[in-house]
Amino acid sequence: MEIEEMQTAWSEMSMKLEKQELLTNKLIMEMTQEKYRNKISIVSKYEGIGAIICFIAAIFLITKLNELDTWYLLASGVFVVVYLITIPTIVLRSIRKMRNLNITDNNYKQTLIDYANNRKQFLFIQRIGIYLNFLLMIVALPMFVKLSSNKDMFITNTNVWYWYLPIMTLFLIFFSRWGYKSYKNITASAEKTLKELE
Amino acid sequence: MHKEETFKKIIKEHEGVIYKITRVYTNTHDDQKDLYQEIVYQLWKSFDTFRGEAKVSTWIYRIALNTALFHLKKGKKQGHKVSIENLNLKQENYDPVLEDRLQLLYAHIRTLSDLERGIILLFLEGKKYEEIALITGLSTTNIGTRMSRIKQKLKKQIIKQ
Repeated sequence: MEIEEMQTAWSEMSMKLEKQELLTNKLIMEMTQEKYRNKISIVSKYEGIGAIICFIAAIFLITKLNELDTWYLLASGVFVVVYLITIPTIVLRSIRKMRNLNITDNNYKQTLIDYANNRKQFLFIQRIGIYLNFLLMIVALPMFVKLSSNKDMFITNTNVWYWYLPIMTLFLIFFSRWGYKSYKNITASAEKTLKELE
Repeated sequence: MHKEETFKKIIKEHEGVIYKITRVYTNTHDDQKDLYQEIVYQLWKSFDTFRGEAKVSTWIYRIALNTALFHLKKGKKQGHKVSIENLNLKQENYDPVLEDRLQLLYAHIRTLSDLERGIILLFLEGKKYEEIALITGLSTTNIGTRMSRIKQKLKKQIIKQ
């Protein structure tokens, strides 16, 4: 279809549309009401649920901190609590920023640039999160052993190292590779958009 | 005139424009209705800040295109249900021959990038390069260059077919 043909078809459609009046006053004002909008989309459902789980886990761990009777177990517990509160908060803020673009004041070009930049930033945070999970896996272990079996794994012999570390490492490697691949693809798409606007 | 009355009048005068934008940026009827609502909502939200310095149509195109772009980027469904079930969007498919041509036209437009899609839509609406530049934030020269590229892309598509 040549551009001229496109213009003709578009004009014909426009003329047909001009003759129709389907929106009523009531319908227009209904569409302006906040209550009709989907509020779930403000924060991604999955990240939102994940954050709630993390916050509940953090609250639970705070109530158990007194059971961690050595400085290193307490340090392990505090690290996990801080991690469970901080990382989801940063991710949620990043998502919120990405979704709250100023689409009413910006022009089309600026909206594209802002979205691509915010998306890159969001994915960078997610990537950092993936790497931090490895650290969490190691640091959290003494605390979990203590809370689940009341054993200090640095004093009492425990076989937890034999199964926990290999399984968790395999899981995290698989998860990180998948996450990194997605990160690369989406970032490349954002970069492409930015390059196109240069 | 009362704010609501003015707004309703403007929307009614431009309902065809909003329809065309929603059709270009969505693939399903539900998504289209969803986007239509979102555009009207965003227009209402920014109506107070619209002081008539720009043309009404320029303001509508800017908000509608930004909303469409953002809607597209958010992805398809997120457990989202259209709340206003009786939103009957305009149907231009009375003429089967025209509808076939329009289907082809939309298919061509959807192969373009986000930026190009906005530009071609405004071009087809009969906007001059200056106004397209004002709405998109690009320079007039840049619009000219991009239009040439779009035309080339479309020609290539015809050769492929």
